[in-house]
Amino acid sequence: MRLSRVVATELIKVRGLPAVVATVFATIGVAIALAAGIAATSSSSASRSDPVEMTLATVPFLQIGIILIAILVVASEHAGSQIRTTLTAIPQRTLLLAGKAIAYLVTAVLTAAVSLCAGFATAAITLAARDASPAGDVNAWPVVGAGLYLVLIGLLALALAVLLRSLVPPLVTMLALVLIASPLLAGSTEHARWLPDRAGSLLYQPDADAVLTTAGGVLVQFAWIAATSIIAAAAFTSRDA
Amino acid sequence: MSLLQMIAAELRKATTLPAVWAGVAVALLGSIGITVLNAVTTRNAIAAGRAEELLADTSPFETAYAAVPLGTVGAVIIGVMAMSSEYTANSPDAGGGRQISATLAATPRRITLLLTKAITIVLLVVATALVTIPACVAIAMAIIGDAGQEAVATDEAVLRSLGAMLYWVLTGLLAFAITVLTRNGIIPLIILIVNSSLVSISLLLTNITPLAHWLPDMAGRRLFGGVHTVDGGLEALPGALVMAAWTLALLAAASGVFSRRDA
Repeated sequence: MRLSRVVATELIKVRGLPAVVATVFATIGVAIALAAGIAATSSSSASRSDPVEMTLATVPFLQIGIILIAILVVASEHAGSQIRTTLTAIPQRTLLLAGKAIAYLVTAVLTAAVSLCAGFATAAITLAARDASPAGDVNAWPVVGAGLYLVLIGLLALALAVLLRSLVPPLVTMLALVLIASPLLAGSTEHARWLPDRAGSLLYQPDADAVLTTAGGVLVQFAWIAATSIIAAAAFTSRDA
Repeated sequence: MSLLQMIAAELRKATTLPAVWAGVAVALLGSIGITVLNAVTTRNAIAAGRAEELLADTSPFETAYAAVPLGTVGAVIIGVMAMSSEYTANSPDAGGGRQISATLAATPRRITLLLTKAITIVLLVVATALVTIPACVAIAMAIIGDAGQEAVATDEAVLRSLGAMLYWVLTGLLAFAITVLTRNGIIPLIILIVNSSLVSISLLLTNITPLAHWLPDMAGRRLFGGVHTVDGGLEALPGALVMAAWTLALLAAASGVFSRRDA
């Protein structure tokens, strides 16, 4: 089969998973609710009333939704015997992995874009309603960076799920990494900047690190994704289904 | 079956789950890892004469205690997995059955079954805490050695360790009660891991309404005495009571639902 048809198959499968559809809508809903909540309660000082800052503050929560989508896309194959049907239809395993990754990318890009745009619009409207809109120009590029970060952190989760062939272990690993281990380590050692989520977060917090630039941070995150993907692809192509 | 036999059965089931051991490992090895990092940082800072730059002081106990919040995640995993494993469907090739059918056939008294599961979770979490917290303190003492100034008296250290252990236990039971209601581990895992982290949803809610200080995780927060937490909210003892009340209420709700609906 050609790649385009594999991608089409995988997209149909993704669309057919109620858990993925629910996660997509829940992520968008959380983005709107959080942006509204943050904008409604922000103090009126000038530096904090920026809708971009408020959208970026929702990213740590939105990444949970994207990670869950990535893991569900893979783990649903291994929940029953669907992986055998899939491999019977598409025996070229690397082609299948590529199709899955592209289907994930389409879903994640759409989810991240809609969530961030909706969050930004909600924050801007809420601020306007409170007569607290910022006076100067708004630099929206960090929001684009945040979208890229969300898609990339999900890609790491996807590779991990391919490697672990299950739902809960990769989910707990990713959540513990981005929510618990990374902040704890950042408090105790400066080397935490090399973690995938810390390095990637430079995409939407450009001047946050003394050593890494934005491009360097993206490269570090790419290195994590590449290493995990290579191991996962090697395992997936060599072991029994 | 007698209660003791049921507890023995549940303990055996729980300890054969790899996921439960993963929870123990997160609490034990994760906390030890963070303690080692913290202690090495503290020792180097003291050696370089920059001790005043440290977040905590040079006390080995404070250095170890900073890692203790990580154990909450381990307790969540144990609490969720003890129940969600019952509802995981087997491979279709092996009949696609769920363990809950066998469990209820063997122990039909549902409330007693939930009680024994709760006791199992408490035993596992307490055992993990009793190993983890002293191990972390011992490691911090070994690494920092005589260089640091121990600022925390022994009785205070014991009290704060017990407080952290109580927080772990209550969180594990909350996770268990929510899993009984959802019959699926994903939602309680996400909610409770997020709320044990720095980007906690409850923490955000406190900005919107002070009532959020009465949510279970915010109320119990001061059980981690000495660790920097948000200002305001309940003191340690009333907070612990509020958190325990939430736990009991959710366990009661879980018992009511579990005893009425089909497995």
